[in-house]
Amino acid sequence: MHKLIHSNIGRLLFFGALGCLLFLAGNRVDELRVYQGATLAMFVVAISSIILLTGYSGQVSLGHGALLAIGGYSAVLARNYWSLPIWLCFAVAVLATAAAGSVLGTAAARLSGPYLAGTTLALAVGLPSIANQFSFLGGEQGLLFDVGAPPASLGADFSPYKWYFWIASSAALIALWWLQNILRSRYGRTWRAVRGNEVAAELAGIHVGKAKTLAFTLSAGLAGLAGALLAMTIGTVSPSAFPLTLSFSLLTGAVLSGVTTLPGVMIGAVTLVATPEIANAISHRLGDSGAVTSNLPGLLVSALLILVVMLVPNGPVEQLRSIRTRRSVSTSR
Amino acid sequence: MFTFIDTLLIGLTSGAVYSLMAIALVLVWRSTRVVNFAQAGQALLSTYIGYECMGRFHSFWIALALAMILGAGVSALIEMLFMRTLFKRNTGPIAGVAPIIATLGLLGIIRGGIGIFMGGKETIIRPPLSNVGFTISGHTFALSPFKLVILSAVLIMMILLSLIFTKTNIGLALRASAYAPEIARLAGVKVDAIRTLGWAIAGAAGAAAGMLQTPNGTGALSPDSLEFSLLLVFGFIAAVIGGLESLVGAVIGGLLLGLVLAIVLMYVNATLLFMTAFVLLIVVLLVRPQGIMGKKAGRRA
Repeated sequence: MHKLIHSNIGRLLFFGALGCLLFLAGNRVDELRVYQGATLAMFVVAISSIILLTGYSGQVSLGHGALLAIGGYSAVLARNYWSLPIWLCFAVAVLATAAAGSVLGTAAARLSGPYLAGTTLALAVGLPSIANQFSFLGGEQGLLFDVGAPPASLGADFSPYKWYFWIASSAALIALWWLQNILRSRYGRTWRAVRGNEVAAELAGIHVGKAKTLAFTLSAGLAGLAGALLAMTIGTVSPSAFPLTLSFSLLTGAVLSGVTTLPGVMIGAVTLVATPEIANAISHRLGDSGAVTSNLPGLLVSALLILVVMLVPNGPVEQLRSIRTRRSVSTSR
Repeated sequence: MFTFIDTLLIGLTSGAVYSLMAIALVLVWRSTRVVNFAQAGQALLSTYIGYECMGRFHSFWIALALAMILGAGVSALIEMLFMRTLFKRNTGPIAGVAPIIATLGLLGIIRGGIGIFMGGKETIIRPPLSNVGFTISGHTFALSPFKLVILSAVLIMMILLSLIFTKTNIGLALRASAYAPEIARLAGVKVDAIRTLGWAIAGAAGAAAGMLQTPNGTGALSPDSLEFSLLLVFGFIAAVIGGLESLVGAVIGGLLLGLVLAIVLMYVNATLLFMTAFVLLIVVLLVRPQGIMGKKAGRRA
């Protein structure tokens, strides 16, 4: 039994069950929550992409917003120019972003900590502005992204938001299941070895550059999926949909989740979805002045970020785990 | 021909401000091995302090001095309150990433806080000297008295810091605690205090950058203004291009970036500004992964 839980099939069953739960939940709650559920799923994918890159291979990216932009734009272009079926658009987004990621990753593997952070930061502010340069990318207004009406077989009262939610959550489940598997494979072990000590990893026969590039490529693929999902939920892609603050808040989400633990990914995603709502409620109490309303969400997220880094630097999940290990060690003595 | 000279002059002055910002980042990196993303936020805060001082004392220069002093204080406080605890507590697998994330959080807090308390107000800092260029034989060059001040401020700052670093005991202590904190501690250097000092000097340099950047641009001061995004991104890119380790590198990086951006702005267009910075950074780093003036890292293990 124990073996089954920790096997591939066990995990597949787990994620399948999770999917059924989500499906049931989607029928019970109102439209706004369903829409937020789709956003949540998007954040789950984006954050797990950062967890793969930063938490497992030890590379910092401040520019995930740019990768999301690549994914979003390629999905929209595939839809608008070739009118591909919607699932194929997502596949195009993943592949295109992974390809871009492999180019970037080759450069990134040569760079250490702050240099990589600088490069990705420059990318995050630079890349979205390219859309203003070429007319087929739609300029500042961007392009519309129409995923099409839900299939008629799902019934007449099946709302588009619910359709978004279905697409986003099944994409998130597939992505998480795949990521969980790859992190437990030899690649996952390789990345952890590289993160732990590059010299030691190299002596153990690991090609550090290749391992890092691979991590960057796969992480970019996930980010591309998240970008396509983001484009789907807001219905358009435009440069202003991928600001620098998006990259920063994704990193925040990853830290809140605990950068090194995939299971915590929900914590970060829920926080990112909930913060604007909480901030809205607070600023409503304070009398809805423009300055408070526009600045409070950022302030809350930042304060949370500082608190987490100062108090539980490895994330709440890892913290609990280490407390549990400490306790079990002390009882066994 | 005149256009080209003007472009170079504009590039040099804007590059000089980026250099100041890069100097601040290099100082922090050298003293604590932290990339301080909050530096632009601190510069913003210092500039607001300077703005308030201008209202009281009606002098840009007094305001500049006060902004630099108080900016240094804020910076030292941040180091003592946040960074020390962070370094003591942080041993986990993300030890290398945590300081970056903490400074990003600080940036958000400073920005959001200023936005809430000062966001609605219109704040303008005018240049203390004319920002209209000198006219020589009929052509008005893009070199104004105020731009000369900016250029000389960077020059003075660099010479002063180089003297401190190479000729004084404090400079020796700063270098020692950056290269080998443990050995410096054994040799009697108060490493923690020295680190705080490094942050304080950086805070002053950043404050100067903010105070000079705002009137050199539109003069309007706001937490979301383009000027501060430019300081945040380009200051950092300049520092990385220069190699993060060396003050001379920071200045070279800043000036190079300023020149290239001014040329793109003049001859191509403004939408490609940030992309140009990215391409320049990639090109420099692919040729020299450790930056222009950076030394190749020694084996640590």
